Amino acid sequence: MKKLIFAILLLALVCTSVSTFAQQSEGSKIISEFKYKDIKWSVPQVGKEVKREVLDNGIILYMMEDHSLPLLSMSAKIRCGEAYESTEMMAVPDFTGSIMRSGGTTNVTADSLNAILELVGGSVETWIGSENGGARLSVLTKDTELGVRLMADVLRNPAFPEDKIDLMKSQYKNRIKRRNDRPASILSREFYHVIYGDHPDGRILEWAYIKDISRDDLVAYHEKYFAPNNLMIGITGDFKPKEIKKLLNQYFGDWKQKGITFPKIQKVKNEPKPGVYQLQKDINQANIRFGHLGITRDNPDRFAISIMNYILGGGSFTSRMTTKVRSDEGLAYSVRSSFNTGSRDLGTFNASTQTKSSTAYKALRLMMDEVERIRKAPVEDEELDGAKDSYINRYVFGFTSAGQIVGRLMGLEFNDRPRDLLQKYLDNIHAVTKEDVLRVAKKYLTPENLTIMVVGNADNFDKPFDEFGAITHIEITDPVLE
Amino acid sequence: MKYTFALIFGLLLLVQFAVAEGEIKLDVKEKILSNGMTILVIENDIAPVFSTYIRFKVGSADEHLGITGVSHLLEHLLFKGTKRIGTTNFEAEKPLMAKIDSLAAVMREEKTKLQNYRKGGSEDKVLALREEIAEVQAEQAQYIIKDELWETYLKNGGSGLNASTGNDGTQYYVSLPANRLELWAFMESDRIGNLQLREFYSERDVVREERRLRTETQARGRMYEALNAAAHWGSPYQWGVIGWGTDIDNMSRIDVEDYFKTYYHPGNTIACVVGDVKAEEVFSICEKYFGKIPAGPTPPPVYTFDEPQTGERRVDVEFDANPVGIAGWHMPQVTHPDVAALDVMSDILNRGRTSRLYKNITEKKFGRASAYISFSRYPDLFTCSVTPMGDYTVKDVFEAVYVEIDKLKEAPVEQWEIDKVRNQADADFVRSLASNGGMAYRIGNMTAMVGDWHYLIDYRNELKAVTPEDIMRVAKQYFTKSNRTVVTVVKKKKAEPSDNSNGPNL
Repeated sequence: MKKLIFAILLLALVCTSVSTFAQQSEGSKIISEFKYKDIKWSVPQVGKEVKREVLDNGIILYMMEDHSLPLLSMSAKIRCGEAYESTEMMAVPDFTGSIMRSGGTTNVTADSLNAILELVGGSVETWIGSENGGARLSVLTKDTELGVRLMADVLRNPAFPEDKIDLMKSQYKNRIKRRNDRPASILSREFYHVIYGDHPDGRILEWAYIKDISRDDLVAYHEKYFAPNNLMIGITGDFKPKEIKKLLNQYFGDWKQKGITFPKIQKVKNEPKPGVYQLQKDINQANIRFGHLGITRDNPDRFAISIMNYILGGGSFTSRMTTKVRSDEGLAYSVRSSFNTGSRDLGTFNASTQTKSSTAYKALRLMMDEVERIRKAPVEDEELDGAKDSYINRYVFGFTSAGQIVGRLMGLEFNDRPRDLLQKYLDNIHAVTKEDVLRVAKKYLTPENLTIMVVGNADNFDKPFDEFGAITHIEITDPVLE
Repeated sequence: MKYTFALIFGLLLLVQFAVAEGEIKLDVKEKILSNGMTILVIENDIAPVFSTYIRFKVGSADEHLGITGVSHLLEHLLFKGTKRIGTTNFEAEKPLMAKIDSLAAVMREEKTKLQNYRKGGSEDKVLALREEIAEVQAEQAQYIIKDELWETYLKNGGSGLNASTGNDGTQYYVSLPANRLELWAFMESDRIGNLQLREFYSERDVVREERRLRTETQARGRMYEALNAAAHWGSPYQWGVIGWGTDIDNMSRIDVEDYFKTYYHPGNTIACVVGDVKAEEVFSICEKYFGKIPAGPTPPPVYTFDEPQTGERRVDVEFDANPVGIAGWHMPQVTHPDVAALDVMSDILNRGRTSRLYKNITEKKFGRASAYISFSRYPDLFTCSVTPMGDYTVKDVFEAVYVEIDKLKEAPVEQWEIDKVRNQADADFVRSLASNGGMAYRIGNMTAMVGDWHYLIDYRNELKAVTPEDIMRVAKQYFTKSNRTVVTVVKKKKAEPSDNSNGPNL
């Protein structure tokens, strides 16, 4: 196969750390003798590996050819989403995003659309998430024109038939009815609800917001947001730019621009909700999560925070929490912390584990101790180097296919991020020091603000959780489905 | 098996295949080392990375009662290091581990006595032994470099580092920057050639928690466990990969070590490397590192299979969750000629929005139903799981599924349904080539299961040759009432007494 990524700069992927363990293993001595050839690789850029063009009606195209396989993919992004809508309207975006595909178009019925795509082993799918809508096409090269035509039709002319709306309502009702069946889904839902309250990142979907959704809602929603000037399309695979642009002009070209007024997205209220929240469920394992609000993606400390979290609980087996709770004590299969650094508004820091009821307190205590420890003393040199090496050496895995590359570059423009973000990333990671890690741990981990939640049978815990804060009981209630 | 390793012992077999598929080639380069280990390589320099997949032909089907779950526990322990990785002094660890083993043996005996009220076991003695073990473990800890193997991979850019265990195989995977080939070969060969099962008892507890997480606190986990236990009378597929809880609690390090010695041989191992590498270089590095591992005896065969089922079996599982269900019909092993027809049948039932279950169950708002064929070393189950919607019950949805299956017995499927499956098989094949990790898995898995990666091509041809009549025949043959087992999750009332398995974990 042909090389996808052209060598422009020389980026030597090297291990910055020479192990400084007082006592080394024999294996590490052998490994330290290995010589690694430099890898010629650089972060792909718009204008070089990736082409960016704008069609007359405002559709922004990102293109990257890859002729190694006879496949064509297109990924569209549309600015819209649940976050822009009121609680009462929160399900409308998802209904619109789903049914614009599942319901067929005014030109092709749902059954025909399904049959055509499945017969050629291709797919068109659409969705609308929290802050963006999307569409994806995947076909063999020979079906390129068919694919572009159907994707354009789905995006422009959805039929929104009543039967598909009814079906989706029934499916949602069933999903809501079953939402307390799995401990993990109870915990996740209730945890974010406590942290974010009625903000879009925390609100809970109820049947009341679904039952009255009408076809008119979906038509109006689609009419409001779907326009060429609100659309970006990434094209990757086996195509010729000139030919694909001709097809895009043919099927999207007469789509007129329109003015879109985006509602203001509600700000996250930066109010901590400290304390213990206990949900009683008759199971033999306690599901524990604790955390608090964190940072936005513009925060200049985000690189140091990522490294700090990797050492604390994000770096799987190399992290302190996992070493203590899983490896040393055998208390849990999964122990992890995450610090979201990619959120437009405040994301969260949170840590979670699951352990048998009789060690619930012990596991939580050990994890909390690690939060305290990383705030008190600098991390070890080898911890810092290990974390940085890992981030640096695996960075290339974010750019291994044309689809991944175009997705990331297009994402920068879509989210209005600095265009050199990906180029500067490695330098930013390199620059993190032990002092930075300690500083951000002190500043951004605030134990007094932690919301601690547990789903499980508290009667069997090794010790009550009130040592961690005042206990609030949340009842797991059956959802209202009237 | 295509190759008998005994026959080619000492012979360097180097074959290059290039299977033409229009313009698309599946170009796998293959070498069998002198110790019997199979190396498969696909060169793909599209990005400066490679993916690896090491497959051991051992899984929970090779276990027996008393050590169920051992394959999976062993997979965990392979991350604990070797005689050279994860320790500053292996020699000093040895006597301590022996001491722990003998204390653990006494503890197991005492716990067994406790199970029998008339044998006079002592809980205090068990707790005392536990403390004594903890002391020796603490002494051993001074030599242990925690998770060094994992950390070394991560520092070197390891991505997608993990392992998994199934009924039929155990696999270890990692993707690395293109210049890290030797590192991979060193680490992987060391854990086959010099494995050290340290930190055994704490890891056993970790796996016990994994069982609580995936099986005991999940309605679906309990449901699958019940299906296999009820449907398989004889076959080792009757227990799950995770194993029975009490086996995990009581297995000894020696049990696991014996198992390792029996199954982790070069001749039972396939290593696949796909990505920005040169096959010749992979072969020579593999020869250098893996080639030193001595060949071992052929592992014992599995010959305990299911008794023929002679009547429908029904099981209820009570759980604090809304009802779901699963049905399983006995079907043959992966190499059987009927598998392709069953595969096409499952696609026609299940795949996509034009599928029969989607059209006639989902769109008619009965609920959701999905059908899965198994590709297993030994005879296994074709399963269908259902989630009812609205006022419908699990039974209602199953009735609707049975109607769909009966239609397949009574009338040939339509030509477009067959065409759809054929075209999707081709498109799937092309898409599969785009992923290094996916290809490494596919060629490795096929070689492990059938003996030859070419079966990827042959099987697709078999699939494309399936006729409507074939589907009618297999529908009639396998999908009978007496051949099926049905498990239903029934919502447990909240007031019932709690599970007492939370007591001291002895």
